[in-house]
Amino acid sequence: MPRVPVKDFGSDTPVLSPLEPERLTQLPADAEPRAPMPPRDAWLEKYDFSLDGFSALGLPLPKTAEEEERIVSGFLRGLAKLFTRENNWAFLLPTALSTDYCMRCNTCNAACGVYEASGRQDVYRPNFRSELLRRIYRRYFSPQGKLLGKWTGAPELNWRVVYRLAELAYRCTLCRRCAGVCPVGVDNGLLCRELRKLFSMEMGIAPAALHKSGTVRHLATGAGTGMKPAAFLDNLEFIEEIIEEKTGKRIRIPVDKKGAEILLVHNSGEYLSWPENPAAFAIVFDAAGIDWTLSSASMGYEAVNYGLWYDDVQYARIAMAQVEAARRLGVKKIVVGECGHATKAIVTIADRLLSGDLRIPRESCLPLLEEIVAGGRVRLDPWRNDFPVTLHDPCNMVRLMGIVSPQRNILTRILPPGRFREMPSNGTENYCCGGGSGFAIMDAYNFPEWRNRVASRKKAQQVLTAFGDCLDPSVPKYYCAPCSNCKGAAREALMDCYRFRERYNILYGGLVELIANAMAELPGPFLSWETEF
Amino acid sequence: MSYVDVNGKQIEVDEDGFICDPDLWNEEIVRCFARLEGVDELTDDHWKVIHYLRGYYRQFGIAPMIRKLCKETGFNLQRIYELFPSGPAKGACKLAGLPKPTGCV
Repeated sequence: MPRVPVKDFGSDTPVLSPLEPERLTQLPADAEPRAPMPPRDAWLEKYDFSLDGFSALGLPLPKTAEEEERIVSGFLRGLAKLFTRENNWAFLLPTALSTDYCMRCNTCNAACGVYEASGRQDVYRPNFRSELLRRIYRRYFSPQGKLLGKWTGAPELNWRVVYRLAELAYRCTLCRRCAGVCPVGVDNGLLCRELRKLFSMEMGIAPAALHKSGTVRHLATGAGTGMKPAAFLDNLEFIEEIIEEKTGKRIRIPVDKKGAEILLVHNSGEYLSWPENPAAFAIVFDAAGIDWTLSSASMGYEAVNYGLWYDDVQYARIAMAQVEAARRLGVKKIVVGECGHATKAIVTIADRLLSGDLRIPRESCLPLLEEIVAGGRVRLDPWRNDFPVTLHDPCNMVRLMGIVSPQRNILTRILPPGRFREMPSNGTENYCCGGGSGFAIMDAYNFPEWRNRVASRKKAQQVLTAFGDCLDPSVPKYYCAPCSNCKGAAREALMDCYRFRERYNILYGGLVELIANAMAELPGPFLSWETEF
Repeated sequence: MSYVDVNGKQIEVDEDGFICDPDLWNEEIVRCFARLEGVDELTDDHWKVIHYLRGYYRQFGIAPMIRKLCKETGFNLQRIYELFPSGPAKGACKLAGLPKPTGCV
C-alpha cells in the first residue's frame, strides 16, 4: 500500500488516498457486496471528496481565497482552544498527555479494525490522524515549530488539510480498541473526538445526522427521532397491544410513576424501529416484579446523546435535561436500556456535570437483567432458545465501561448447553459493529458505502467465523447485539449490504428479547423469525 | 439541496429526494415522486398507505413505526415493498411528503 507522508496531507491531488476495493480484507466470495458506488457528479462539483473519494460531511468547496483563508484561520483558532484550560477544562489533560507522549511504536495501528479491513490504508491508521494533529500543533503553536516551519514534518496549512482532517475525524468509530493496547496510555480515539469537537464547536462542521437532525432536533422536540410525548404515548399503547398478542396478557406499562425505584430510559429509536425490545423489557420487568417506570416528559424518554460523539456543549445540554426529567419524577435510579453510547454518556461522562440533587445513581440495564435471570426472578426454559447465538460486545458498555460478564451469565442461563458461541475476539477485545460514533445513522452522500464495506467489514468476518460450522440457511442463527446503534449497523451493513439474512439465515436483535423468548410462562415464542418487526 | 420540477413548479428536496417543506405537499407531487421512485401506477392501495402516513404525520410530526403502518393499513411488509419498491421509509414516506426519518431509526 503506498505510504501517504503526513507532510503531504494538503497536496492538491484530486483524491489523496482513494479506497481500493481489491485491497479490502477477504470475505467468502458469496458474502462480498458489490464495489462501492463512486460519488455522483453533482456532488463532486459542490462538495469535497478529496480525502478518499467519500464524504461524511458534505463540506462545500471554497470558491474564493477569502473562504479558503477563513477555513484555515477557523481551524487554528479552534486548535488553540483545545489546548487551553478555560476552553477545554473537561478534556485538556488527556488531550495534552496523548499529544505529548506518543512513542510512535504503532501498536495502535495493528489493533484498528478500520485500518485492517481497509487493507492497511495509511490514512486510516489511528496514529496517522494523531500524528498529523501533533505536528500541526507543534508547527503553529510551539516556539521551535515556528522557527522550524516545514521541518517539523507538518503540512503547510491550507483548506485541503483542514477539510481532509475533518473527514478523517469521521473515518474512526471511536471504538478505542487502539487506546486499550497503547503501552503508555495514549488515547487516539479521544484525540479523534477532540478533532470532531473542534470542527463542530469552532467551525460549525458536523454531520447533519448528528447535529442538525440530531442534537438540535433532540433539544427542540424532546427526542433525537423527533418523537414528541404524544407520539411516545401512542407508541406505548401500540406496544401494549403487541405484548397482549404475544403473551395473551395485557400489561400496563408504568409511565411517570413518582418515586419509582427505577426510571428505565431507552433509545427512542427502539420504540419506532425495534418495538419488540421495549416490549420485552416490559414483559421481563413485569414478571420479575420490578418497581419501575418510563417517563413521558420531553427529554425523559430518550436515552441518546449524540453530543458524546462530537460536541461538548450539545452533550451537556442534553445530559442535564435528561437527568432533570428523572429528578422531577423522584426516582431512585436511572437504568439505561440496550444502547451503548447512551449508557456511557449518562452513566460515566455525566459525572463531570452533575451536582447536588442531580447526582442520581445511573446504571446499565445489563447487571439488572443478570440479577433477574440469575436470581431466579423469572421462570426460564432455555430450550425455547434452541438455536446458535453469538454475542456482540458494544464498545461503549464493554471495552469502555468494563461490563463483560453480566450478558454472558445471562446467555448461559437462557440458552441450552453448547448454543452460545463467542466471536474470535470478544469482551474488551471485541471489534466495533461499524456503526459506532454515529456512523450507523450517518447516511448522507456516499458515506454508507464506506461504512458498510470498511467500518463494518471486521464485524461481518467475526460473525461468519462464529457461525462457521452452521452457515447453512437451514439453521436459523441469532446475532445478539444489546445496543440500538449496533442493531442499526447490523441492519444496514450485515443484513442490507452483506445479505446475511438471505444468505445464511442470520437474524439480529437485542438480549432482552432472548430472555423474553425463554420465559416459560409465555404461551409461545416471543421472537418472530418469519416477519421483521 | 436540489429541486424537482412538478408541472412547472420547482419543489425543493434534500439529497435523498425528500420534500423540504412538508406543507407544500399535494397530489401532483405524489404523482411526480411516484415516477421517480419507480411506481408506475398509483392504485387505491398506494393511496391508502399515503393517506395513513400523511394523517399520522399531521397528528404526531413523525413517521409511524412500520409495524403500526402494516397493522393500520392491513398490508404486510412484503406488500408495502411491492407497492413502494424503495420500502416504507425511503419510498412510502417520501411519496407521502414526510421529511426523511432521522435519529436512531
